[in-house]
Amino acid sequence: MQSWRRKSLWLALSASWLLILLRVFPVLRLAEPARRQAGAPQGWPRWLDAELLQSFSQPGELLEDGPQPPQAPRGGSCYRGACFDASRCRGGGLKVFVYPAVGPISETPRKVLTSIEGSRYHTASAAEACLLILVLSPDTPAGECHPELPQWDGGKNHLVLSLHPAPCLRIFQLGQAMVAEASPTMDTFRPGFDVALPLLPEAHPLRGGALGQLQQHSPLPGVALIAMAEERGGWRTVGTNFSACPWDGRCEQDHGPKQTHPRATLPNATFCLIPGRNPDALHFLQALQAGCIPVLLSPRWELPFSEVIDWTKAAVVADERLPLQVLAALQEMPLTRVLALRQQAQFLWDAYFSSVEKVIHTTLEIIQDRVSGASAHPSLLWNSPPGALLALSTFSTSPSDFPFYHLQQGSRPLGRFSALIWVGALGQPPLKLIQAVAGAQHCAQILVLWSSKKPPPPRWPETAVPLTVLDGHRKASDRFLPYSAISTDAILSLDAHSSLSTSEVDFAFMVWQSFPERMVGFLTWSHFWDETQGGWGYTGERANEFSMVLTSAAFYHRYYHTLFTHSLPKALRTLADESPPCVEVLMNFLVAAVTKLPPIKVPYGPWHQEAKPPLVPGSPRLRSEPRPAAQDCINQMAAGFGHMPLVSSRLRLDPVLFKDPVSVLRKKYRSLEKP
Amino acid sequence: MPRAGLDAQECEEEAVGVIMCASVKYNIRGPALIPRMKTKHRIYYITLFSIVLLGLIATGMFQFWPHSIESSGDWSVEKRSVRDVPLVRLPADSPVPERGDLSCRMHTCFDVYRCGFNPKNKIKVYIYPLKKYVGEAGVPVSSTISREYNELLTAISDSDYYTDDVTRACLFVPSIDLLNQNSLRVKETAQALAQLSRWDRGTNHLLFNMLPGGPPDYNTALDVPRDRALLAGGGFSTWTYRQGYDVSIPVYSPLSAEVDLPEKGPGPRRYFLLSSQVALHPEYREDLAALQARHGEAVLVLDKCSNLSEGVPAARRRCHQQQAFDYPQVLQEATFCMVLRGARLGQAVLSDVLRAGCVPVIIADSYVLPFSEVLDWKRASVVVPEEKMSDVYSILQSIPRRQIEEMQRQARWFWEAYFQSIKAIALATLQIINDRIYPYAAISYEDWNDPPAVKWGSVSNPLFLPLIPPQSQGFTAIVLTYDRVESLFRVITEVSKVPSLSKLLVVWNNQNKNPPEDSLWPKIRVPLKVVRTAENKLSNRFFPYDEIETEAVLAIDDDIIMLTSDELQFGYEVWREFPDRLVGYPGRLHLWDHEMNKWKYESEWTNEVSMVLTGAAFYHKYFNYLYTYKMPGDIKNWVDAHMNCEDIAMNFLVANVTGKAVIKVTPRKKFKCPECTAIDGLSLDQTHMVERSECINKFASVFGTMPLKVVEHRADPVLYKDDFPEKLKSFPNIGSL
Repeated sequence: MQSWRRKSLWLALSASWLLILLRVFPVLRLAEPARRQAGAPQGWPRWLDAELLQSFSQPGELLEDGPQPPQAPRGGSCYRGACFDASRCRGGGLKVFVYPAVGPISETPRKVLTSIEGSRYHTASAAEACLLILVLSPDTPAGECHPELPQWDGGKNHLVLSLHPAPCLRIFQLGQAMVAEASPTMDTFRPGFDVALPLLPEAHPLRGGALGQLQQHSPLPGVALIAMAEERGGWRTVGTNFSACPWDGRCEQDHGPKQTHPRATLPNATFCLIPGRNPDALHFLQALQAGCIPVLLSPRWELPFSEVIDWTKAAVVADERLPLQVLAALQEMPLTRVLALRQQAQFLWDAYFSSVEKVIHTTLEIIQDRVSGASAHPSLLWNSPPGALLALSTFSTSPSDFPFYHLQQGSRPLGRFSALIWVGALGQPPLKLIQAVAGAQHCAQILVLWSSKKPPPPRWPETAVPLTVLDGHRKASDRFLPYSAISTDAILSLDAHSSLSTSEVDFAFMVWQSFPERMVGFLTWSHFWDETQGGWGYTGERANEFSMVLTSAAFYHRYYHTLFTHSLPKALRTLADESPPCVEVLMNFLVAAVTKLPPIKVPYGPWHQEAKPPLVPGSPRLRSEPRPAAQDCINQMAAGFGHMPLVSSRLRLDPVLFKDPVSVLRKKYRSLEKP
Repeated sequence: MPRAGLDAQECEEEAVGVIMCASVKYNIRGPALIPRMKTKHRIYYITLFSIVLLGLIATGMFQFWPHSIESSGDWSVEKRSVRDVPLVRLPADSPVPERGDLSCRMHTCFDVYRCGFNPKNKIKVYIYPLKKYVGEAGVPVSSTISREYNELLTAISDSDYYTDDVTRACLFVPSIDLLNQNSLRVKETAQALAQLSRWDRGTNHLLFNMLPGGPPDYNTALDVPRDRALLAGGGFSTWTYRQGYDVSIPVYSPLSAEVDLPEKGPGPRRYFLLSSQVALHPEYREDLAALQARHGEAVLVLDKCSNLSEGVPAARRRCHQQQAFDYPQVLQEATFCMVLRGARLGQAVLSDVLRAGCVPVIIADSYVLPFSEVLDWKRASVVVPEEKMSDVYSILQSIPRRQIEEMQRQARWFWEAYFQSIKAIALATLQIINDRIYPYAAISYEDWNDPPAVKWGSVSNPLFLPLIPPQSQGFTAIVLTYDRVESLFRVITEVSKVPSLSKLLVVWNNQNKNPPEDSLWPKIRVPLKVVRTAENKLSNRFFPYDEIETEAVLAIDDDIIMLTSDELQFGYEVWREFPDRLVGYPGRLHLWDHEMNKWKYESEWTNEVSMVLTGAAFYHKYFNYLYTYKMPGDIKNWVDAHMNCEDIAMNFLVANVTGKAVIKVTPRKKFKCPECTAIDGLSLDQTHMVERSECINKFASVFGTMPLKVVEHRADPVLYKDDFPEKLKSFPNIGSL
């Protein structure tokens, strides 16, 4: 009894202690924040007299910002407006002169010279040029860095270009010259004035180029997450389950499974980690080519063409001091972003870096953009396929005028087309064809390109749409000139002897509206690799696949006329003029090189074949074997492009109910099945 | 509760201590105590302890509840004035920071380790408490704080970036107001900065300044020595701006808040070119006068008014000869507006000009435009070198009209997003720094630059790169099945004949029944995997299973046995040419029902298609990921609940992200399961059609738009139905069943 009473007393006592403690303890615990609350409340205080505070500028101070005389540029600091005299480029646009090589030069500078000379901006006269380029060779001894240049003028309007680190660049009195250098350090690079070039491998191809390695949009399952650039070149892939930083020497213990690859192989991984030191810039291009997302660890060099290329879309620039955060971010990166970065990296490789020619032309295009001011390429044109070298700003600066950007712009091509009928040397006025085309639902105008020796007939048939006769110069490439009379986005290119029905035209145009960047045609050719000849060949025979459509009856965007005329090398166009089927091949090459996709075939009634007039010599033949002489042109074209751009397709687009066992009355394009 | 294991004896002995906090409950049941107690004592004890417990609860409530009220009360009710802030006296010999280091870059001068704590890829910003600094003689270093700087700090404090924990902060913002260099004493301000508690050579400190320099030579960056601190400055020139380190910000125009200027649509305006600045150098005045003389009415050059009427502040009035204009309203009358350099490069007029939707013509050589790191000024302005000023008219004339309208819209959008308030300026600055520190979470060029209208209308196809995947990879067939084993086996046998099939995945959606034993499955040449699901849901068909190793996926129902091997192989070939689309066999159409004013589902023999059924369709496996994780709204659950329309949902999803139409392959057939014919087809069809129409309407409202695209074509082999020997055709067996 005693014991439990004592115990109860103790318990009561302890309970009251507890109560007291619990009352005191939280007060103690809250003491610190409580004091803080009294002193500095959470967040920036709402001042009572906030309304009474003075403005940062006195009334009128912003207006009376004391006048200052215009300043001359400070010594040594150049930027576009000051050191580059763009007014010399007015009128004819950018004209580029390049100093010829003195003495023997090595491979890369020769490629650079060839590329500049092949550019559409090149001029042979130094007096006419507004940009003069001096190509530095890496093997010029330091003592011979000062060539005698009559037009030097303190370096004004000069571009000193070096694809590889040249000793001369450090010694040379640059004056007011711009510098285009491979991976320049950020400290010396002058944004908006200099041009940052990529560091190219020694054996970079002149044109066409090493194709991108990306074969599919998403990473293959099981492929390594990260490849790490090694100091001696080459890559080391790191497994996906690692906890430590793979690039920091201090945490060498656990890299997970790893593999080292020899120097030349491209990394096979989702991300490629590239250290920030200058020599590692070489890895950067390898990663792009492999479609491996470059992760640059605090790069000390300016990224190539950073003035126009939005690298945030294709690469990750990370801080090398936060290895774990970077790794975690890469591991957790949403699939959507991984896909976008991969594709963009690959697109940039193909568009700007895969050949010396592309690198040089991109450099010139950047300077052209600076010169042209408001009519420069918008950022979208630089940063989405097909890229600014293939989307000419002379055509338009509005993306929705091009066939490539309708999705991004939320726009559509104009819903009408112009028929452009080419009348060849001995051609007759294509009266029946004109009637068939004019009857098409969406035809806006008919243009007859009269290239015949005979004078055009004085009277043309009455048509529902305006008919204009244009005078041709009897050259095969005439038909692809950008005539200002063409008022629609779509062109239906026709030959005088083409035979088409109205409903074929209607349907083909409906299809074209879904694929405005491609050619939509009726008759096809296909190319093949000829083992016996060791070269490319092409045939008009009917086959299960095709890679070209004949421009004697095809829809395409009028932009391709501009591109054909202004971007193709002269040599290729001359070649095409000599052999008319070559023009067709050339146009198909061009569109395929831009889109990287095959053309589209739509149904073509077999009855046209019988009604076809006898073949006119000198004009492209329909569905017949191209003459042997023409066979060679495909190889010359392939050489000119540097690769074979044509892509084969195995399908034809038919109307939804084409030849289906339903009543003909239900079918919209019923005359496609029977004349 | 680490002490719970103690028995009652120990408890008693330690009861005086602080320890036995919550073991009270345990004590009452203590094995040593209770058996010795009588019932009435037990009641006594229970009562006692109930009281104690009640007391505890009451204490707890008293401790926590009232406090929370008190603290929030503290926060908003507290009355404080800027004049009452603590005073700090700076000794004359207190240290001055070094001048800014021009070679600073994020990876050299910025201590990124301090940002390591920050979750969600967001930097944390600490603001020093406000103090009033005076020199040794008691003369204030600067005015304590300006209205704008107070707004700026309030904006930061209200944002997600803010933290009041100085130890976890990654960026520090002093409360010393540096917006205008004219209103501070340079050396003493620098001393004030240097004595900040975390200054450390200015590492990770962000200073805001809009009006740098002072007479006579007006430096283009703040003259206050600031060592490694980042400077968000208005009026940087290329040789004071540390690319990738500093942030160029606008000079805020107080008129933004004072004057109401509603948006005016783009288009040609009364004046082609306008100059509205008043304090211009005489040389510029001459050039402007010459411009006006040459181009007459199209150019308007304004100046101060000599005789101001009453009541209108000088900042709001401009004159041309005797004619008076309201400013900034007059800016809306012009297509292009000059922004010339004054003593400083950054001019507040830029903000007014943008706001008026007037395209700024910037004539200030070497000026680093505001937020130029992320904003594409080519889209909203024309930059003309100073020496080309006389040509400005012809330069502007050469810009096409459509582009001008685009620039006008863009100018107004820049103002709305990044210029219109101090808050907008502050948040854009922090976002830029945040993007540098967490580049993998950075917001894109489009997010910065595209006006909302463009963002809304545009589609960025996730599979934008034109690629034709290699045929060698093949496709994975996914068969969703419940219990129709016989039919399933037939499908498996048929599909396994397709040359490009690389794997077959059976999604067993029946939880009540086990899939047949391994030995019963058809023997096929490719791996066959059975996935058992946890729940009978339609969305299981679109789950991105790890087993899918190819990009191409063929979704096929367990009753689709009428597709030939040629047809399936051809479908795969078509998919390779259109890897970003749904490529399927039965096509369907949506139509607008004018009577009912809603969408209608159509399965008749139409000339158009806008959907393909996923009972047999090829698509990229990425869309599985999208369907499972990124489907908008509640569509995914809605479909699972209704056990219908998963295919329509997939069609909506793909069309919405790619902006492209489906591809229907091969001629039409009757897609009906043989065993279904027994049921009364007609009525079933009708309810089915009503349900499907409802799905379309439901999805269209969730997506907020109708993404489906209608086309009139389908894909057939090149030589389909051509007069050509069948045995030479690649896919002869098409449309035959």
